[in-house]
Amino acid sequence: MAPKRNARDSTPSSTATITTTATPVPVPTPSKSSLKNNHQSMQEIAVGIWQNYLDKTPQRTKLIDTFMAFLVVVGVLQFVYCVIAGNYPFNAFLSGFSAAVGQFVLTASLRIQTNVENKAEFKEVSHERAFADYVFGSLILHFFCVNFIN
Amino acid sequence: MRWILSFCLLALAAIVQAASSSGNKLLVVLEELAEKSKYTTYLGDLEARGFKITIDSPKNEKVALFELGERAYDHLLLLPSKSKGLGPQFTPKLLLDFVNAGGNILLTLSASNPTPTTVVSLLLELDIHLPTDRTALVVDHFNYDTLSAAEAHDVVLVPRPDSIRPAVKNFFKGDGKGGEVIAFPRGVGQTLGNASPLLTPILRAPRTAYSYNPKEDVEGVEDPFAVGQQLSLITTMQARNSARFTVIGSAEMLENTWFDAKVKRSAGLGDVAAGAKKVQTSNREFVKEVTGWTFKELGVLKVGAIEHHLIEGVADDSIINPKIYRVKNEVTYSIELSEYSWDHWVPFTPPADDVVQLEFSMLSPFHRLPLTPSTTTANSTIYTTSFKLPDQHGIFNFKINYKRPFLTNLEEKNTVTVRHFAHDEWPRSWAISGAWPWLTGIGVTVTGWVAFVALWLWSKPVPLKLTTSGKKIQ
Repeated sequence: MAPKRNARDSTPSSTATITTTATPVPVPTPSKSSLKNNHQSMQEIAVGIWQNYLDKTPQRTKLIDTFMAFLVVVGVLQFVYCVIAGNYPFNAFLSGFSAAVGQFVLTASLRIQTNVENKAEFKEVSHERAFADYVFGSLILHFFCVNFIN
Repeated sequence: MRWILSFCLLALAAIVQAASSSGNKLLVVLEELAEKSKYTTYLGDLEARGFKITIDSPKNEKVALFELGERAYDHLLLLPSKSKGLGPQFTPKLLLDFVNAGGNILLTLSASNPTPTTVVSLLLELDIHLPTDRTALVVDHFNYDTLSAAEAHDVVLVPRPDSIRPAVKNFFKGDGKGGEVIAFPRGVGQTLGNASPLLTPILRAPRTAYSYNPKEDVEGVEDPFAVGQQLSLITTMQARNSARFTVIGSAEMLENTWFDAKVKRSAGLGDVAAGAKKVQTSNREFVKEVTGWTFKELGVLKVGAIEHHLIEGVADDSIINPKIYRVKNEVTYSIELSEYSWDHWVPFTPPADDVVQLEFSMLSPFHRLPLTPSTTTANSTIYTTSFKLPDQHGIFNFKINYKRPFLTNLEEKNTVTVRHFAHDEWPRSWAISGAWPWLTGIGVTVTGWVAFVALWLWSKPVPLKLTTSGKKIQ
């Protein structure tokens, strides 16, 4: 609703007719630093997100996130190498790349299951159970990758 | 070893007095048996070489080439006859059946007796053409014998023939020293059709010869049947089953008188060799070589043992002639070749520019490799080559296909299966250098995972603390 009202308010003001800005517009109050300027710059938004992340995420989840970032780097390196130097032998490329990608997916599912904010959806899955599933899945993935690369 | 066994068998065969490699029963067809006396030297030479000769006339009804469906004779010598045909026992069809059954035929023609129509049609079957005038003969005004044909010029003197192509073995060169003369008296010249790859001339007429009909009463010959080297005086045809058919244009050159005649050559073109001396003709030796070739005493090839096996340094290398190989195996092939020379088998050597080739083929050759001689035994040479099988699976053949003029046809085929790599024969990933980046990728992922799991399991729980915004988090 708010955006429509803003648009209605701004168009009468632009036509320079007597505007009645008395109607209170329920704009969400920003933090103190934005009173000078309603719109934040991209930089400030990014920093805000980052700070929010650092404050709000639990330590265990941050550990998972570090590992996932590491896997992304490993996967991207392998893919860039494939693009530059070709994909011979193809089964080796698939094996290495899918190790990184598959491990990322498994770690993401561990993160989902152990995140405290998701506690309502995973009442019957304890963190230990989730971690045991994660280890089991990872071992199967490693076995597949080693087998496929021969 | 199979080589020893084949060597023993060959030695045993050599002990037996054998004239020809394909039997020694020779039938001589001569219409007037009284004429036998003209050919006694020739027939005597044949008997001395081990042939069992039967002389018969085509008028005799008991003579037959086939008996109960099999060839009754191994070789056939047809001397000229005066009648129009050779009788019901020697129709062109029967003669061709004889050749198809593996029999060799030596046919002689004569200008003094008109050639029977059956013979003309038989030769047409083989793409050998005779002059349409039945009494035409070969005449040469620059290469005739002055002692016997000073007026008629119809005894043509020819030197020993060279090999028809550089890479073809020449069995008819005598001792190769040159200076020999062959007399070709009153013979019929033939022309050969271009279409047949089976025809090879042994002796061609000299450049100045031509075919002339003495019964024609004209001053000059217009439009002769053939001239010069187009005329083939002695023609051979080797059928695909390697049976041989030779046409000697002059039966008279086999007679006793011409075997030890003295001839004196006339002046050649531009009075070359004007004062020639009397020389002895080499008819006897030359006819011996022509007959020897026709009756399979010369130029017969034989395959001994064929072996192929792996040469990869594994235990399976010792299996000889396996039925199955794998793609990209290293393989060696060897074949033992012998050549028959008058009465025994000798090692075969192809002529200098020529080589026996091995084809490794499935529908079309994947490899065509020259075979090099590796060992020589008393009777044979063993030719070998080694190569890598192509990167294609399927049913392949080791093929030898060696067909040369004046040698019997050599066709051998050995079939093998070539299979794919088995699942455990592929190279391992660490052996392929292109796979190392991916291997390290997997290794890094697994190592990182192990470190993550260790941290998760053994990290100290983080105590509650307040953050900048005052909220309580874990």
